[in-house]
Amino acid sequence: METRESIKVENLIKIYKGSTAPAVNSISFSVDKGSIFGLLGPNGAGKTTTISILCGLIKPTSGTVHIHGLSLEKKAGEIKKIIGVVPQEIALYPTLTAYENLQYIGNMYGLKGDVLKEKIRHYLDIFGLEKNAKKRVETYSGGMKRRLNLIAGIMHEPKILFLDEPTVGIDVQSRTVITEFLHKMNKQGTTIIYTSHLMEEAENLCSHIAIIDEGHIKISGTPENLIREHSVENIEKLFLKLTGKKLRD
Amino acid sequence: MLRLLATIKKELLVLLRDRGGLAILFVMPIVMIALMALIQDAPFRDYQELKIPLLLVNNDTGVLGETLEDGLKKSKIFVINELSIPESEAKGYIAKSKYEIGIVIPVNASDSFKANVAKFVAHKMGSEDSLGKGLPYTPNRDLYINVYFAPGTKKSFKASIMSSLRQFSSKLSTFTMLDMFIKELGVTQDSADKNKDVMSDFVSFSERDAIESERENFSLNSVQHNVPAWTIFGMFFIVLSMAGSLIKERDDGSYLRLRTMPGSYTTVMAGKITAYLVICLIQCVLMLMVGIYLMPLLGLPKLVIGTNIAAIALIAISCGLAATGSGILVGTIFNTHQQATTFGAVSIVILAALGGIWVPVYIMPDSIRFLAEISPLYWALSAFHEIFISYGTVGSVFPYALKLLLFFVATVGISHVINTTKSYR
Repeated sequence: METRESIKVENLIKIYKGSTAPAVNSISFSVDKGSIFGLLGPNGAGKTTTISILCGLIKPTSGTVHIHGLSLEKKAGEIKKIIGVVPQEIALYPTLTAYENLQYIGNMYGLKGDVLKEKIRHYLDIFGLEKNAKKRVETYSGGMKRRLNLIAGIMHEPKILFLDEPTVGIDVQSRTVITEFLHKMNKQGTTIIYTSHLMEEAENLCSHIAIIDEGHIKISGTPENLIREHSVENIEKLFLKLTGKKLRD
Repeated sequence: MLRLLATIKKELLVLLRDRGGLAILFVMPIVMIALMALIQDAPFRDYQELKIPLLLVNNDTGVLGETLEDGLKKSKIFVINELSIPESEAKGYIAKSKYEIGIVIPVNASDSFKANVAKFVAHKMGSEDSLGKGLPYTPNRDLYINVYFAPGTKKSFKASIMSSLRQFSSKLSTFTMLDMFIKELGVTQDSADKNKDVMSDFVSFSERDAIESERENFSLNSVQHNVPAWTIFGMFFIVLSMAGSLIKERDDGSYLRLRTMPGSYTTVMAGKITAYLVICLIQCVLMLMVGIYLMPLLGLPKLVIGTNIAAIALIAISCGLAATGSGILVGTIFNTHQQATTFGAVSIVILAALGGIWVPVYIMPDSIRFLAEISPLYWALSAFHEIFISYGTVGSVFPYALKLLLFFVATVGISHVINTTKSYR
């Protein structure tokens, strides 16, 4: 049955072995198809645990997750075919060229031959890396690596894209290219789940935001509604209002 | 299949571009083979091939000196230098290790020897007379043939030489006595000579090799030991690259990316194992070629690998898998590259020492020798020795291959359990 939600999370709990406090404490939320969902929170709030569960990297202690109507517990293999992940780390092989990296990752998604070549050429062109396609990634600048890291997560054109701080530590030019492309991808129907510490970027990019802290979702809604309802100037002020100024580990 | 082939290609590319890793995998074993084969060449020859330098000072002009000299020359294990010098000077040469052994036959040794034998014969002949009384037998105790050994000569070697000399002396005494008895009995000389021939044939000793083959038999020399030994050592050093690759993928997020991709992660691991196995096999072929072609250029014997290529391939593949399995286990257990490389290198060196890579297991003390059985490097080395020296077949080395394959299965299995536990905390 076709559902409106791209992702539906119910009563999700994760308690790591050896720990008594849950990293994620009975959270529930849903992400509509075609939306850009921002999961914001301070360090140790539970963002990465939540994303890791949604990507099938770790198992929840309890609760259910459905992605495109498929149970994550039962249909993880099917779900992996429709998701893309862009990790915060530059998850590339530095001694391989950009082309070789993308060729390998494309092959891992079942892409091959001319289709793969065309996709690699297309995305390298979009992100301004075509001239450096044959250079080893270890020679790239931070911005170039970030752009290539993004291509690696989207070249198979997933229906749902998970991004973990995709623009951290890069220049404004690279950040602009990346956010513009994410907007474009979203307009073409891709659901995006995004985590970041950059509140302004999240406010501009996301159609829906959830602020998570100490394993609980404190609040969720569109950025405009949240700013209006809480009478704050922007999402950053709201974030501090909800999570406080205490330093986190 | 696409995922498998892509992973193999990617791993090979990554490995080929890691110059430091390649040096460890290829240059290090070649250097070790050449170095250790050269260093150990003399000790191996000591026991098997080398001729021992011997100084002979023969001050005797009679039959004893002459016969002893002939006997030493016929033995073909000595390079004899005969000098007419004082005994003190000869002793000095031996003390300075100019010769391994020095034998000094004193003046008139033959006369003293004959006198002793004659007394003994007279005593025995007399005891058989009608009166039942013979001449009293008191041998001349002044007859000594001094045998000097160079400092550091092994006890077993000394015992072996002294035993041979005593045996020789005993035989000469017997023949001399026989001569005297025959003369006493009035037997003709022709008949006496025939009796000597018969005597020497009472017991015959025949030297045979335990492995009989039409091919030339040869012993375990420095090359036959060191080439397979350091080849195996080099193959096991792939543990460092393999473990490093796994840890790096975990650190840089590639591992997480791979696990979010469709398909089983087992395929990725199979691709990794295949790539590293290919490298191990290339190492093996290259090192054997070093043994065959480079060793003779260094003045060492050529490596003889026999003709059973199937048996060599079986052991090379099994050994390569055992090595990659170790790499997976080390890369799974340890969290940092430094931990993995330190433990990996140290563990290989220990297993190599126990497994007879540095020195053959048979010269180790009994208290340590049994530990060799726990080393996969020993299993592989024993299998290669079986093929190269004892003309082993696939069937005869299969038990070793089975052990190595079980080791691979165990290491990969344990790694899988640890990995699953870590991943799905």
